[in-house]
Amino acid sequence: MELYLEALGAELAALREPAPVETIFIGGGTPTYLDPSRLQRLLAEVTRWLPLRANGEFSIESTPDSIDENKVAILAAAGVNRVSIGAQSFHPHLLRVLERRHEPAQVSKAVDAVRQVGAQVSLDLIFGVPGQTLAEWDADLRQALRLAPDHMSTYGLTYEKGTRLWKQWKRGDVRPLEEDDELALYTHAMDTLETAGFEHYEISNFARPGCRSRHNQVYWANLPHHGFGVGAARYINGRRELNTRDLKEYMRRVLSGESAAFQSEELDPEERARETIAIQIRRSDGIDRHGFRVQTGFDLDTLAGAALANHAALGFVADDGAGVRLTRRGRCVADALIRDLL
Amino acid sequence: MTQTNLIRNFSIIAHIDHGKSTLADQFLLKTGAISQRDFRAQVLDGMDLERERGITIRMHPVTVYHEHAGQRYELNLIDTPGHVDFNYEVSRSLAACEGVILLVDAFQGVQAQTVANAFLAMEHNLTIVPVLNKIDLPIARPDAVIAEMEQALAIEPTGVLRASGKAGIGIEEVLAAIIERVPPPQGKADEPLRALVYNSHFDTYKGVVVYVRVMEGTLKKGERIKLMRGATEHEVSDVGQFRPAMTNCDELGPGQVGFFMAQLKNIQDVHIGDTVTDALHPATTALPGYKVPKAMVYSGLYPINNRDFEALREALAKLRLNDSSFTFLPENSEGLGFGFRCGFLGLLHREIIQQRLERDSELELVQTAPNTTYEILTRKGEILNIDSPQKVPDAGQIEEFREPIVRISFLLPSENIGDLMGLCSERFGVFIRTEYLSPTRAMLVYEMPLAEVIYDLYDKLKSVTHGYGTMDYEVLAYRPADLVRLDVLVAGKRVDALSTIVHRAQADRRGRSLVKKLRNEIDRHLFEVVLQAAIGSRIIARESIAPLKKNVTAKCYGGDISRKRKLWAKQAAGKKRMKQVGQVEIPQEAFLAVLESDEP
Ligand SMILES: Nc1nc2c(ncn2[C@@H]2O[C@H](COP(=O)(O)OP(=O)(O)OP(=O)(O)O)[C@@H](O)[C@H]2O)c(=O)[nH]1
Ligand SMILES: [Mg+2]
Repeated sequence: MELYLEALGAELAALREPAPVETIFIGGGTPTYLDPSRLQRLLAEVTRWLPLRANGEFSIESTPDSIDENKVAILAAAGVNRVSIGAQSFHPHLLRVLERRHEPAQVSKAVDAVRQVGAQVSLDLIFGVPGQTLAEWDADLRQALRLAPDHMSTYGLTYEKGTRLWKQWKRGDVRPLEEDDELALYTHAMDTLETAGFEHYEISNFARPGCRSRHNQVYWANLPHHGFGVGAARYINGRRELNTRDLKEYMRRVLSGESAAFQSEELDPEERARETIAIQIRRSDGIDRHGFRVQTGFDLDTLAGAALANHAALGFVADDGAGVRLTRRGRCVADALIRDLL
Repeated sequence: MTQTNLIRNFSIIAHIDHGKSTLADQFLLKTGAISQRDFRAQVLDGMDLERERGITIRMHPVTVYHEHAGQRYELNLIDTPGHVDFNYEVSRSLAACEGVILLVDAFQGVQAQTVANAFLAMEHNLTIVPVLNKIDLPIARPDAVIAEMEQALAIEPTGVLRASGKAGIGIEEVLAAIIERVPPPQGKADEPLRALVYNSHFDTYKGVVVYVRVMEGTLKKGERIKLMRGATEHEVSDVGQFRPAMTNCDELGPGQVGFFMAQLKNIQDVHIGDTVTDALHPATTALPGYKVPKAMVYSGLYPINNRDFEALREALAKLRLNDSSFTFLPENSEGLGFGFRCGFLGLLHREIIQQRLERDSELELVQTAPNTTYEILTRKGEILNIDSPQKVPDAGQIEEFREPIVRISFLLPSENIGDLMGLCSERFGVFIRTEYLSPTRAMLVYEMPLAEVIYDLYDKLKSVTHGYGTMDYEVLAYRPADLVRLDVLVAGKRVDALSTIVHRAQADRRGRSLVKKLRNEIDRHLFEVVLQAAIGSRIIARESIAPLKKNVTAKCYGGDISRKRKLWAKQAAGKKRMKQVGQVEIPQEAFLAVLESDEP
């Protein structure tokens, strides 16, 4: 771990001089599992090279069993002002299926700790877990709401290749939910959270007014961003790069002065514009025609006008002339719509 | 020029895979026409598709010289294809010969094309040299197979030679038998020239190469010749023999087999079966010639991208340069746009053409299910030739709807006769006769609609006989039948490329199974897709494909984007192989579902 922090420091140091930023997000894996002194060192390295501008957003990912008052204090001292907590579910049997090691009761303790230092709280929940019922999901949502988070992410379970769950599914040991049931869970999340005053601003994300994740909105606008660490992605000057996911390889490369990127691609302007359509359409703000032209240099309707009109006729897309956005039904089948738009 | 008494002309005929090309290899090696160094198995199968599939598609003539009883003989042999689709190549070859080697696999025994080809040779009055091949096989059953040959073809058992093309056994004996048994050609050198055109091919550098067998007179380099059918005159620029490479010589005398070239640019200028004569001293009558093989199986070929129409036309024209039995005409489908209706001799021919198209051009194509040709007698008394279900007029205009009937022979283990009979009667087969070749093998003859044969009969035969049954058929005539056009509506719109012609009695069952199959082939859409089968305005079956309800990726953050885009791009590319009909995307497989068998 020492060596990893050293490597990360080296990768950051390649910036040569500090680059002030609007938002920082530390996540992908759970940084809060680090012991206090290492966590402190990580935050120090990051903020040394990426000082946060005034009023910037500084988020970190955590789990209910990896934070306590002590760690929260360290985070706050480094300027972290938004903590996302991977609650996933309040049902022990579902947590087991998801292979999460925390107890449901740890969630509220974690939330309290974060609140103490005045940082914003975001809770992650997962739905569509094999065996999950609508009643269980409803209870999860309500329990989460009782903790009064500023932001919530509800992720439909995906069977990622290589994970244990994926293997179990392939072997037939677990059975994914029926499409209709999964749809009911998703719709129920939309109903419940919207009624509770949240804005559904991206397929899987809900925020109280003014509490949207600024950092993630950069991704969803398809705008440039840095990225450091093992497996990190960056998008700078029209070039997308992905660092190696192999920890040893990452350390070897960075410490010997090589680039950690193992994948790198530069899209041509039209591909970039089409990718922008595919990503921006997932936002509740959708795609603004004027903004799209300014950002990509392309006319939205030239690229995808026919498909959008078709989707609008079928009730999946709303078009007010200035821009297009997915309707509630459209959100449920966004991938199929995106395929048509490309 | 070789004296006629020292010439022997013969074809090698047999059922598929009984070893014709392998035996030809031995002849080439034994006579030194090809050296051990240049040798490769089935050396005459030169086309890439022949080599890949291990079958002969074209006839391959070759001239070899063989020493026998102190004399040097010229042997002109033609290796022929065994598959039924290429049967016309056998007929053409036989007209250039006085004899045949009839090969029979010593394990498989007499099969459907053995019988068909042997009868063909008898009709041409050719001497048959029967050879039991593959006697090296441990599972060979020589005596039983010789008995089958006697029973089925009245072949004298004592005259049957035993050989193995693969192990090189009995080759000398076969060559000796050819020389001793096959009569030499009869023609005289001083008669007016008559040479039979039995084949041709187009060479990009040399133009048209015409394959001839000289009957009487001599064909000389520099000579002015006349093609009797069109009375066109040409000057012969080259004369030669296949040895097996094209080898020039000065002239071809009576009985000799070879080729000539005469600056012919277009393969359509040369008719197979035509007679070549001397322009200055022409013969008075032409040779009998051949019947032109008629395409019996048709299907539509459409570019996925309508822009590729002209490119497809060029590719088809190029293929036709070397295969005049394949035809194509532009057609227009409401669903598929502009494409071509292509005619083939059979399903294998169709498959081969399609493969060559895909290989030679990079076009992405949709192919509709094959259908046979039909005849319609209208109320007004006209006869319409129908090569596509789309061309069937309204029921009110039809006086009589006729379909092609074939005589089909099956050779199979006698224990499977019952199953096969059941199969044939379901397929409108009319029983003609049974014949036993041995206590365990039988020949069954039926008359049956060709459409039923191409539908799935071959697969079914193989399954009821565990692979041991074979079949051969020839078209007899068009006969009236109670036929209707079965249409398919996708989302309320008739997709003409999915229409088929079926017997009324089967229409309901076929309609139901067809829409069921289509339901499995067409992906779910963003809306419900209704599939219906109809005869005229009457709907006989309905299925629907439920719309997609949930299809969305949960996470789309920095690192996910590249991965997602690649996935989307891949899916978008998959969509390109689909044909858009109205709002519905129909994959290639759906167009072929029409042809699949009903049972799951
Ligand atoms: N054991 C054995 N196998 C043989 C013999 N002759 C041919 N074969 C095998 O049988 C298969 C078919 O041989 P071919 O010579 O291509 O048969 P063909 O009759 O020319 O086939 P088509 O042209 O497709 O009708 C090949 O796998 C040969 O190796 C033989 O004498 N003995
Ligand atoms: Mg062969």
